[in-house]
Amino acid sequence: MFVERINMREKPKIAVFKFTGCAGCQLELLRLEDIFLDLLEFFDISYWVMVKRENQEDGPWDISLVEGSISTPEEIKEIKEIRKKSKFLVAFGDCAIGGCIPSIRNWMPQMEAETQVYHDTSAIHSTKVLGIGEYVKIDAILKGCPPHRENILELLKSYLLKTKPRLRKHPVCIECKYRDNACLITSKKIPCMGPVTSAGCGALCPSLNRECEGCFGPMSNPNPEALASIFRDIGLSEEDIIRKFRKYAGTSIEFQREAGLR
Amino acid sequence: MKQSTDFFLLEKNGIDILVKKFLEEHKVFGPIKPGHDSTFDEIKSPKELHLDYISTVLPPKKFFHPPTENLFSFELIENTEWTYKETLHDEKTVLIGVHPCDVHAILRLDRFFSEDFRDPYYLSRRENTIIVALNCIEPSEYCFCESMGTGPFLEMGYDLLLTDIGKKYLLETGTYDGKKLLDGLKLEKADKKDLYEKKKLLEQAKKKFKRHVNTDGLSALLDDDTHDWDIWTKLAENGYPGKSFPCLSCGSCSLVCPTCYCYDVYDVIDLSLKKGVRKRELDSCQLLEYAEVALGGNFRRDRRERIRHWLMCKFGMAAGGDKSGCVGCGRCIRICPSKIDITEVARIIRGE
Ligand code: SF4
Ligand code: SF4
Ligand code: SF4
Ligand code: SF4
Ligand code: SF4
Repeated sequence: MFVERINMREKPKIAVFKFTGCAGCQLELLRLEDIFLDLLEFFDISYWVMVKRENQEDGPWDISLVEGSISTPEEIKEIKEIRKKSKFLVAFGDCAIGGCIPSIRNWMPQMEAETQVYHDTSAIHSTKVLGIGEYVKIDAILKGCPPHRENILELLKSYLLKTKPRLRKHPVCIECKYRDNACLITSKKIPCMGPVTSAGCGALCPSLNRECEGCFGPMSNPNPEALASIFRDIGLSEEDIIRKFRKYAGTSIEFQREAGLR
Repeated sequence: MKQSTDFFLLEKNGIDILVKKFLEEHKVFGPIKPGHDSTFDEIKSPKELHLDYISTVLPPKKFFHPPTENLFSFELIENTEWTYKETLHDEKTVLIGVHPCDVHAILRLDRFFSEDFRDPYYLSRRENTIIVALNCIEPSEYCFCESMGTGPFLEMGYDLLLTDIGKKYLLETGTYDGKKLLDGLKLEKADKKDLYEKKKLLEQAKKKFKRHVNTDGLSALLDDDTHDWDIWTKLAENGYPGKSFPCLSCGSCSLVCPTCYCYDVYDVIDLSLKKGVRKRELDSCQLLEYAEVALGGNFRRDRRERIRHWLMCKFGMAAGGDKSGCVGCGRCIRICPSKIDITEVARIIRGE
């Protein structure tokens, strides 16, 4: 029986790390508070600066959830250290996967981004904003800005059960149709990113009559070129189309062309 | 059981009396908004019903084969024994205002879920549901049931049937269950004149279709392996000239299709790791994961293979045969963000 198998083992140690990002993914993890005690039956939280005073600094960790993208030389060094001490490394959220919103600044010269914020840039030595997979091998990704709690739980449960987590890669349109919504594109000419965006949110925005912004990143085998021409057809300017594809996943292989890579 | 038909006349507000009667012993579901993007939902009072609707986003399939459902729950007792409990729905239900195309679609799903295997989840709902159909006087711009032999008027599959014949509704009984539902109501009998009026309206309705499919020999054309892949490559990469965009593989077309039955089954385990639910949800052959097998193999990796499969299936050339075949409701045409029109694709296949 799998339950006995699990009870017999030592509890897996979880670590949560933050790099360049808004801490929203960690907050989503914190939002599991109603079932936190149940989770602690199965896991030890070994390192999580946001919620714990005492943290085990030097690993090793069974599961490391890494939030945020990599944007400084220190962060490059740090993520490599974490990789060494982690058995199972999760890119936790869009920033860790591909830079997400912070990566918008990749599309302008570094100098320009820096001078918008700092008078004296001599102490700044930021790199382009990239996902952690640029520097280390990752074992799983949790899509979303932030990931949905059900997906976080699915990953943790399947870790215990040693099963493949059911993390959907199909488009938001599927979840949108589950909810019997009329399509915003075809009924109202609203430029929705649903047809190229990975599901997982339950079609939150389209169900509130707001276009999908694309916050779960590209679905499997999307056709962004087709969606860009549909946006053009309903009257979006080239700049707006580029902005839409840059917003959450402009650095992804799937979206980079529509995001303006030439 | 087919019964001799009774014909009645119903004042326009007579629908209210009918619905009130149904509500006495049944849950009642019907279209709740006018227009193209209506929804079938629960009707708690007659004024919520909108028989003036044109079409719904999801077809009435959603009552028998819902987008997502729990099949059964299971639990491990004292770490030794598994128990399970099925979730069957057997509430007495009336579906009112179902258009002929959708009734035909339900008849096909009935066969799919009962012939080669019996699906208790579908059938428990279906066997407890009475269908009050509504003939179509005004086909919408997307409709082409006339080409598919499934409308705009109905000859089978209904318990009760309504036709708007101008000042009144013609009400016909189709089954014993339907008749019984009218017990105790004082209804005016219809006469020959009213039936003639219905026939006339049918002839008029048939002439109003804007979309058509010539199905003659179409399946054979699709089945022909030597048939070139040009059209599928075009649909996947360019769209057809001047009219459509390339397919997004968004899956909306199958989710709104009243005869698409494909589903996925999976377990959701509770955090105790000792109990869970087995679920199923609608799937679509347009999605990459649909034909994925172990070790990352995939039978339809290319978009063009997937869009081809859709048309093969809708014109009876896939595993479902005519059980998953198109009934001409036009929903996929309206929902497709890329403006891909199944009637247009059929025309291109025919070389027209
Ligand atoms: S509203 Fe957006 S998510 Fe919903 S079906 Fe249309 S394109 Fe897809
Ligand atoms: S396809 Fe035919 S039966 Fe269906 S709604 Fe249109 S006219 Fe009515
Ligand atoms: S709705 Fe249109 S774009 Fe989406 S999968 Fe179907 S044919 Fe392709
Ligand atoms: S293929 Fe399209 S038109 Fe035909 S039954 Fe399905 S949704 Fe309706
Ligand atoms: S295989 Fe056929 S029934 Fe299944 S989703 Fe595709 S078109 Fe629909």
